[in-house]
Order: sequence, then C-alpha cells, then structure tokens
Amino acid sequence: MRISDLVKSSQATLRHGKMRSLLTMLGIVIGISSVIILMSIGQSAQDYILAQVQGLGSNLIIIIPGGTNNGKFSSPAAAQGIIVTSLVQQDVDALGRDPSISAVTEEARGQAEASFGDNSESVTFDSVPANFFTIRNFTVANGYPFTDNDVQSLNHVAVIGSSLASTLFGPGSNPVGQYIEVKNIQFRVVGVLAAKGTGAFGIDQDSLVLVPITVGQKQMLGINYFSDIEVQANDAYTVSFAQSRVETILEQDHNITDPAKDDFTIETQQDVLSLLGNITSILTLFLAAIASISLVVGGIGIMNIMLVSVIERTKEIGLRKSVGATNNDILQQFLVESVMLTFIGGIIGIALGGLVVGAAWLVITKIAGIAWTFAFPLSAVLIAVLVSSVTGIAFGIYPASQAARKSPIEALRYE
Amino acid sequence: MIDVKDLKKDYIDEGETTSALRGVTFSINKGDFVSIMGPSGSGKSTLVQILSFLDRSTGGSYTFNGKKIDDMSDIELAHIRNKSIGFVFQSFNLLTRLTVYENVEIPLIYSDVPPSSRKKLIEDAVHAVGLDEKLYVETAKLSGGQKQRIAIARALVNDPDIIFADEPTGNLDSVSGAQVMSILDGLNHAGRTVILVTHETNTAEFADRIIRLRDGVIESDEPVKNPRHSKDEFFK
Repeated sequence: MRISDLVKSSQATLRHGKMRSLLTMLGIVIGISSVIILMSIGQSAQDYILAQVQGLGSNLIIIIPGGTNNGKFSSPAAAQGIIVTSLVQQDVDALGRDPSISAVTEEARGQAEASFGDNSESVTFDSVPANFFTIRNFTVANGYPFTDNDVQSLNHVAVIGSSLASTLFGPGSNPVGQYIEVKNIQFRVVGVLAAKGTGAFGIDQDSLVLVPITVGQKQMLGINYFSDIEVQANDAYTVSFAQSRVETILEQDHNITDPAKDDFTIETQQDVLSLLGNITSILTLFLAAIASISLVVGGIGIMNIMLVSVIERTKEIGLRKSVGATNNDILQQFLVESVMLTFIGGIIGIALGGLVVGAAWLVITKIAGIAWTFAFPLSAVLIAVLVSSVTGIAFGIYPASQAARKSPIEALRYE
Repeated sequence: MIDVKDLKKDYIDEGETTSALRGVTFSINKGDFVSIMGPSGSGKSTLVQILSFLDRSTGGSYTFNGKKIDDMSDIELAHIRNKSIGFVFQSFNLLTRLTVYENVEIPLIYSDVPPSSRKKLIEDAVHAVGLDEKLYVETAKLSGGQKQRIAIARALVNDPDIIFADEPTGNLDSVSGAQVMSILDGLNHAGRTVILVTHETNTAEFADRIIRLRDGVIESDEPVKNPRHSKDEFFK
C-alpha cells in the first residue's frame, strides 16, 4: 500500500468524524502546548537570569574572603555571614600590578538607615572606588558617578539606586544635589543609578547607596578589609589564565603554600553562569516532564478512541481484507490514522503554545516592564513533534494490531 | 480452474468439533456460471469462504488455476484475492463515507496500481454497471440496487478471473435484483467465471449448473436444463 494512499485514506476517515477527531486530539494539543509553554518560559527565565549575571560586568573574576572546604560550589565563609578579614588593600595593589588583569575594584559593604527629611529606608551601603562604576556596568542615569578625586579627598558624596531615590525623594523628583543621611554622615547625592534590579549576592542594586571606599571603609565601617575584590581579565579568552594568576598572587600575598587552605574563594562569571544555567535547565526539564504527563493521558485517549474505531469498522476491515489487504496493510492504515491524529494535535499544540508564550511575553515586557526575552526554542518544537508522533505510534500500535489480527470472515459477519 | 477433492472443514469450539464440510469434491472450469444452494447450516457459506481464499480447509485439497493453495501464506492468499477474485456481498459492504469512485478504487490500492492509472479503470468499471453519473456521489446517497451495482463495479475493477456473489439479490427488490442478475449474467457471457450462492431457485437458475449441499456434503451437482439468461440491456 502506497504512503499516499495511507495518508489519503486516513485523511478521509479523520475528516468524516471531524468533531471526534478534534476531541481525540485535545489531550495531545494540551500536552504539547504545555510542554512548549513550560520549555519556552524556562528558556526565557534562564536567559533573564543569565543576563542578570552578565550584567555584573565583562570578564569578571570575583574574590570572596574565606575558603571553601567542600568543593567548588559550596558557600565560602563570607557568604555564610562569617566575617573574614583576609582581603586587604595590599591584595588589591598586588593584583593591579599583574599584566593579565586589566582592572581591580573592591567593595566594603554595610547595612544602615538612609534618610531624607521624614523619609527613611534600610539600605546596603557599598563603599567602592571610582572605577567600580565602569567595571561593574553601573550606569548613572541622572547626575554623575563620584571620581577618584572624591575618593582621595574623602568627599561625602553618594550615588543612590533608582528605587531608593523614589522612596526618599518621591517619584519623579530630582535628588541630585540634595543631602541624605547615612550613619550620621550627610552625603550629597551626585548621581542616581539606572534601574538594574537584584544583582549578585541578592542585593537589590536599585536600593543601594554607593559611597567612596575611603569614606565607607574607614569612617562608616572602621575596618581595613574588604567584602570582596573584583578583577577584570583582559578579555574573555584569558579569564582562566587571569583566575590562576589571581590565585597565585593571593597565595603568595597570604603566605599560603597549600591551595586547600586558601583563605579566599575565586568565582568567575562563567562559574556562576554555568551553575545557574545548569539549575535552570534542570528546572525547565523538570517542568517539561510534569507537562508530558498530560501527553500520556492524551495518548491513552487516542488509544481508547482507536480501539472503539477498530470495533466500529470491523466490517470495513473484513471488506478490505477480502479485496486483498494484508494484515500489514490494515496495521499501517490504523497506525497512520493515530499518528496523523497526534501529529496534527502536536502542530496545533505548538501553535497554541506559541500564542500563549507570545501573550505572556507581551504582558511581562509591556505591562510588568521586565526585560523578558521571547524564547521559542526550536528544540522544544522538534521534541514536541517527535513526542507527539511517537505517542501516536505507541498508543496506536495496540488498536492497529487488534485490527490487523481480525479474521476476514468474522469481520465480514460482524453486525 | 477450481479443483477441490475431499474438502473438509471442522470447527472446534470449546473442545467440541463441528464438521461444516465432510468431504466435497467437484471442479469448476473457466467461464462457468455455478450456483451453490442449500439450506442454512448446509455448509455453502463455508465452502465459498474456502473457495474464495477467505478461509482454509482442514482436510482435502484445493487447486486454483493449477496451483495448490493449501500451503500458501496469508500474504499470497491476500494477493490472489486481490488479483483474481471479485466479491459481491448481500449487504454490499460499501464504505458509505466514501464516494463511488473511492469505493471502487479500494482493490486498486492493494494491487499497487499507480494513482495516475486508476481513473480509467474505475470509470470503465462504473460504466460497466451503468452508473457513470454517480461516480463522485457518496455511496450513502444511493439506492440499494445502485449500491449493489457499485459493489459489482468494485469486484470488476481489478479484472478478476472469478466473481463470487453471496446472496447478491438478498437485500434488493425484484426490479433491482433482476438488474443485478442481468449484470452477473452479462459478465459470465463476457467470459468470467461466476459462482453464485443463493437460496432462491429462480436466481440460482441463471447459472448453467447448480451444486446443492446438505449437512456438509454435496447432495446434487446438476446442470440447469434451461438457464435463465437476461434479455436486459445492461450487458449488451
């Protein structure tokens, strides 16, 4: 039996019972669209999260005080809230001299109340040098970032996050030139950051107060160590080399001979990206696996209807066998019908999934204002088509073999 | 053409054996028109099912066109049914969701005739039963007589050697029945072998010979003295 005849015959059968065909496909449509929607949303979420990490800056290597004893991704001591004082100015200077490193910046963070008039807000203040803005891609939307001169002169100037500006000064007002108070020190606001959202270490960058490192570290915190040091490799290809240089330099500086006893932890953006990428990929797959349960339910629906169809068309099977159809011809005919049902259901499911993903993208970007990408991964489409066809075969094979096994005489006698 | 010797068929149901055919022997030559008659339970349906390759005997031998069919595979039998046999059933067995064209096309699908060559064969077969104007009509919309004529067209489309007609007039009024018999008669006159199963003597007498069965054996096998031949215009 020719493929064209199989397809034509199946089309005629499905067309004849349009409503039944549509209802039968519904399970597959729902299953496939769920898989598509969840895989697309998973992909978009992954893109969003990775973009956030990439937004930290380019070719960054982050050095956190305190070592990790239990492997690469266990939390360093500093990240667990333990005060570690191992990173100091001497380290920053030593790193800055290495040719594999293009720039070094450091941070000393603290918590305090920021106030303007009657308005106040609990904030993280981040004491940073002037080059921090460039290295970490912090854009000042209004005003200007403080300068090396401000840092060296211990000027009481601050750059604040956009949402903090709204909270303290009211939406739409211009805080540049106004004074805020943090830890009993009056700071002149010289700039407001462009909105960026929650960044590394879970800090909401839009609520930050950035002050000169000299002022923050010495006058506000009274310490001589840093919360972290960030270095920038010369380019993306030398990040690994720069990372090994950082390790060597700091071990020398800290007189460490056994790398297992490092009192610092180095993480590159790539480490973070790959870790987050792995987590979000697993989450996406997990969601898709849950959605695929509905595909199984849809497949059982198809099998059920195909079994009914085999019984209803017993006489047709008898007739076809009497005019020369072999068991294989009958098997193929019923199998093609179920595959066609699931295939068409799969195509409708992909289209429906695309519509929902598109609508979600519109709502998230236009209404919620989040920089959400429209992800419609080709892999999800291919998997959907493949899975729907395989579902058709898997759940169609039993009814089809039942049909093929029918004796022509008994089939012809069937009333 | 057909040569059966001591043909037997036993059915075993829940350990109990029922003999539908108890040793039947006869021959049918090419171009013969043979009626098989007998009361219910006489074994005539079983005999025709075996002769038309829908079932297998449990004893004796069956030779068709010089070939023993007892050892043939199911696929070979399906191939013979497709190429050499045309069926006409009492209940027409048309697929009512399909058009006349599509129904008549079914045997061609299984004989691997390319779609481009089918149209002429289908038109010729439908023309042979005088229903050219119904070619693209859904068979659900046809009368009983027209349905049976389309079933004959389907039986003819692959140019078979032999036509088996099982009670072809059983569901028809007398006028339609006469039309159908005249077509079968015409086909026989054109050289085709026709085997007719019927319980109506009038219909059986269109044949040249009547084989009567009773209790699984041949009761009589005699020529018809004055076969009724159609004067109908259908096959002139």
